[in-house]
Amino acid sequence: MKLYKKEGNVVQILSFPNEAAEKGDYLLIEDAEAGRALIAQVIDVQFASIPGVLEELLRSLPDGGEIMRGEDFDPLEIAPHITYIQDASLLICKIRATIENGENLSPTSAWLPSRSQSTIKKLSIPTLLKLARVDGELPIILGGTKDASLLTIDASSLDGRLNIITGKKETGKSHLSKLLISNLIGYRATVVVFDLNGEYLSLGMTSDGKRNALYDKIHVLTPAQNFKVALKQLNLHVLLEILIHALHLPGTSAREFRRIWQSLKERDMLTLHELGEAIRNWHCNQHVRDALFSRYYALVNSGFFTDNIAEATLLEECLFKAKEQGSAIIVNLRNTSPIDRQIVVEYLLGKLVELLTSWKIKAVFLFAEEAHLYLRETYWDDIVTRMRHFGIFTTFITNQPDTIRENIYRQADNIFLFNFTNEHDLEVVSRAARVDAETVKSIARDLPPHHCLVLGKVVRDFPIVVKVRALDIKTMGETRLFFKNLN
Amino acid sequence: MLDATLTLKPIQVKPRNTETLVAAIDTSSIKIGETKNGVLVAIRGANIWKQNKHYRYIRLGPFIFHITEENKTEVYNTLQKAYIKQQSEQNHQHTPNLTQMPTRLATLLERWLQAAAAKTMSNSLILFDGSLTAGTPDAPANVMREILGNAREMENAVLAFSKMTTMRLNGNLITDILSKCTPPYILELAGLRVKPPLIPFGDIYVARLSKGNYAFRLDIDKELSSQEKIEAVEKLIGNDLLSQGYPETLRLAHILCTFTANEVIAMQHFIARRYGLKMINRPDMHRLLFGPFGKGETSA
Repeated sequence: MKLYKKEGNVVQILSFPNEAAEKGDYLLIEDAEAGRALIAQVIDVQFASIPGVLEELLRSLPDGGEIMRGEDFDPLEIAPHITYIQDASLLICKIRATIENGENLSPTSAWLPSRSQSTIKKLSIPTLLKLARVDGELPIILGGTKDASLLTIDASSLDGRLNIITGKKETGKSHLSKLLISNLIGYRATVVVFDLNGEYLSLGMTSDGKRNALYDKIHVLTPAQNFKVALKQLNLHVLLEILIHALHLPGTSAREFRRIWQSLKERDMLTLHELGEAIRNWHCNQHVRDALFSRYYALVNSGFFTDNIAEATLLEECLFKAKEQGSAIIVNLRNTSPIDRQIVVEYLLGKLVELLTSWKIKAVFLFAEEAHLYLRETYWDDIVTRMRHFGIFTTFITNQPDTIRENIYRQADNIFLFNFTNEHDLEVVSRAARVDAETVKSIARDLPPHHCLVLGKVVRDFPIVVKVRALDIKTMGETRLFFKNLN
Repeated sequence: MLDATLTLKPIQVKPRNTETLVAAIDTSSIKIGETKNGVLVAIRGANIWKQNKHYRYIRLGPFIFHITEENKTEVYNTLQKAYIKQQSEQNHQHTPNLTQMPTRLATLLERWLQAAAAKTMSNSLILFDGSLTAGTPDAPANVMREILGNAREMENAVLAFSKMTTMRLNGNLITDILSKCTPPYILELAGLRVKPPLIPFGDIYVARLSKGNYAFRLDIDKELSSQEKIEAVEKLIGNDLLSQGYPETLRLAHILCTFTANEVIAMQHFIARRYGLKMINRPDMHRLLFGPFGKGETSA
């Protein structure tokens, strides 16, 4: 390999057919005299612009489009050299760091290595990880890299961070989030999952349906079934959030509701029945009463609210258990209507903030699949700023990257990017602050299924492609098919 | 050549579809670099033939030579002896200088290919690139005579196409002269006299073989009868493609032997790897002295 060009933080390297390098590979450009080396990552492989190639190709097809048959007497065997030159490639590489004195990494690309004297060789992922000090005491093995080594990240690099897992359908996003969840639980973390398609319900089962080591740490909460809430447990503030944001209660009506609630609370009569009666008998404008009634029935019909305190203790129990031994609370939103989903999520987030503020629980790793389907607009900023300080560390999982706001990408600490072919999707993801747009667009487009480009703090800002390792977990959430087993 | 009392006689031709094999020979040469002692030269030749509506080829080379002042005579004589079995006493005088060497080596290979085709093919049309005029160091008369003689023995007809000519009639290039005939036709040049030591082994025509403004000088073996010459042209237009009035077989021969830039780089790579020869880049004095006004030595 030969260093050909450097423009900004992009270097172009001439590579010959016997020096195979692919997108995602790391190269070390070492200038022994300068005592420095550049770490560059291949983000694109192009044909080298060799003069005369067009003529070469044209003359190989002159017989009506068919290859002309004949004999070549080439005593010096020049033909392999011609092929060798013709197949030379140009590696477009992004400079990721400079190594000085063989070990100190700095993100600079401001110096110019010698074109004639520099040696270029492949940098193996284990060596890179060692140089970048991607290690720690809480290892999570994500999977294998191209050079057959394992990519291990540290669980603490997810702690206090905002993460995004994105990629098109069926590329392995949920699989990766299950892997992260199971490892976090293993390190006694509290994990809450908003499970939209019931994909995480069997996290505690092996693929053949047996219980696995996580079985006792997986708690599935299904709203209106084993997950209910009593009005007495509710904070007025949380209920008002539900009424205003999920059920769109107007301000005037919300003020009346506040009065009704306080009146009932003073009399220790916070039950669904009493709430209904209070609205019926409250002295207020008829429109306000109608508005309050319609929301009241929405609450009642959701089945999520109960007057039986005994039915409404599971969430706190699970959270306290999780605090002790680490576990995952899977909130099964599969058969929940969009309005009820919002009610549940509003309640749960409010409850988590309440428990975190009072230090009843330490911190929560929140995994939110397709969050735009249940998270209200104002929560996005809340989650990445305010809630993070309370101890809610969110991982968004989506196949529609444009449903996540640009400021979320900008503030994301880690991005696990699976394949995208759509330009628009790649454009959205490339706004992430932790990586350059060219890397995202070029590498993500060619990722095979189950391969993920890991970006951000978990890999110390050295983007690495990994094939996510398999998990022995029962698959759920499969798409129902019409033609399956038809024959 | 002199054009003392030249006259042009138009002859209308029509395609003759009698299946006839059409073969063409061409070679090319290139200077691939300079060393401190001399030059590196590559030559390659191609023989193309059209049979059953398909083109086939044999391509020989590239052959690479490192020519120095010290070895040039030996190299040239050895090749001349090997290719055309000729080695006269005067050869030392006829050894070309280093600049002429690429062309002269390619011509030797071309003569050998022409001789081989003339001896091995029969009842065919054999197309040469250039003319059938001999008497120069790179086209010895006896060699041309032998090639054409062998071709006739095998009942082949040799036709040579020149892309460029300097022959003029009344001040006009012969290829610019138009006839009232509609293509395909040939114009026979009668009354041509040639200055010694040049010997014309062919009768010279202007060939306009397809519609369009393309005409070429065409030499046809002198020893063939007029009827055989016209028949040869008619068989050519009946058996080969003539895009822009030029035979496709000859065009392919040219394309297949020409060196591309890619091949030059590959040969430089081969030489450096195999023989460790270090090529030198001499500064382009035109560029050096005249900057953007110096267009390079080749176009000076």
